[in-house]
Amino acid sequence: MTDPGAAQEAIEYCYEQDWTDGLPVVPASRSLVDKFLAHTSRAPEEVIGRIEQVGRDCTVELAAINAAMAGCKPEYFPVVLAAFEAVMSDRAARGGGWQSTSGPAPLIVVNGPVRAELGFNSTGGVFGPGFRPNATVARAIGLIVRNAFGVRPHVLEQATQGLPGRWSICIAENEEESPWKPLSVECGLDEGTSAVSAMLLRTCEYVDNRHTQDPGQVLTDIADTMARTGAVIFREAPCGLVLGPEHAQMLAKEGFSKADVQAWLVEHVGRRRGDLRRAGKNGLTENGVRHAADSPADDEVFDRFLPDPARLPIVVAGARNAAMSMVVRVFGLWSGKAVPVGGKA
Amino acid sequence: MPEAILDPTGGQRTASAGTAVLTRERARLDGATIGLLSNTKQNAALFLDELGRLLVSRHGVAAVKPVVKKSFALPVPDDQLAELKDSCDAVITGVGDCGSCSASAVADGVAFERNGVPAAVICSDAFVVTADAMAELRDAKGYHYAKTAHPVAVLNPDEVRKRAEDVLPEIVNILTKP
Repeated sequence: MTDPGAAQEAIEYCYEQDWTDGLPVVPASRSLVDKFLAHTSRAPEEVIGRIEQVGRDCTVELAAINAAMAGCKPEYFPVVLAAFEAVMSDRAARGGGWQSTSGPAPLIVVNGPVRAELGFNSTGGVFGPGFRPNATVARAIGLIVRNAFGVRPHVLEQATQGLPGRWSICIAENEEESPWKPLSVECGLDEGTSAVSAMLLRTCEYVDNRHTQDPGQVLTDIADTMARTGAVIFREAPCGLVLGPEHAQMLAKEGFSKADVQAWLVEHVGRRRGDLRRAGKNGLTENGVRHAADSPADDEVFDRFLPDPARLPIVVAGARNAAMSMVVRVFGLWSGKAVPVGGKA
Repeated sequence: MPEAILDPTGGQRTASAGTAVLTRERARLDGATIGLLSNTKQNAALFLDELGRLLVSRHGVAAVKPVVKKSFALPVPDDQLAELKDSCDAVITGVGDCGSCSASAVADGVAFERNGVPAAVICSDAFVVTADAMAELRDAKGYHYAKTAHPVAVLNPDEVRKRAEDVLPEIVNILTKP
């Protein structure tokens, strides 16, 4: 049994170096990190991500050190690498996303056999906490941004308020109770391939509708949450949807495919310009930024907020014990990409 | 034998304080062409246009060249930097009024200076910490830029013009004084 005093001292050392996200980290040693590296064929010095404006790179080795510090098991490392690649596929993550006043959080979605192999939670309490793979894979990404890229709060990171759960949102899709194909298959990978997708979020907003069996009413409830004016800053206000299995199964039973749900929401999510005018957001610049404008004449015009259906990710996750779903508020635009775990498609 | 604790940062960078940044030969505004590199943030283009107008009317500037930066968060691309370097005697850029674009504006100011083009950067005062941090990352600790009060995006056009008027002397100083 390790000496707790020595462990505490090592944890405090990491705090003193400013290497932590505020919670204790696992002090990384050569022997521990080598166990992580043994789970990939990639060279430790391979550069897997770069933030051009801060001039910093992340290598496989640095990713392994930060994953170890986050509390990952060595066997999670291929998922961390896939998650990192998926996150970095997002234009905003390569741009100024980590520095933004919006303080976005990556939502990481895991599909395929790796969910069961490593024990990812896809059912009750899927947004956490309580499950080591979910909690630590997301945290690893946060530590990489902090340590490898050097984007730290109050310095290069300028989040105004941030959001609850930043660096902790990793869900596995509940493929077993989903009536539809997994997200990774929608992204073009074969069924049965373990894969990770990611998008950046401004926040998550629940829709609790245990009140009706009518798909139109449930979708109307979801659309209302998606269309709130507070979230609208540009012409479009992209969203994703994490449907609870009960909502998903009800929709499927009533004949809705995933594409039908996407099309329905793209058609219905929006606001009349009068609502936007009252919120000071009815005008649009050439760059598509909303602003206050004096034009009550077009109050009845309906502005749709969602980009095309293919940019509206829908995932099924959670327990089938209540009809709840989560609207996820996408920062930037979803890349529509899934990355195979282990690099093999 | 206890193992060492590994560094997750890849080694801390040490910024060299006070590295010379500025182009030694400062701009002469009389007869000059001034590049106005705006970053697409709300009111940035108007802010720079107004500065350009004031420089023409009061400081003998011959022409201004407005250019819109392709991505506000990223460094100015090489082709835009080369275009401004070839066609302008000095550049004004901004307005740094967000988490990433304020840092990026400072990085651009340093890049122009190192390419021999006197440059003045405008950032809002809410972002000085991140702007200064970027200067350090560019080995330009203490890099001087012009500040205007936050926020800029919500100002009406008359308020933006007033801001430009207020910051003009500082811009002239930065561009012309060693």
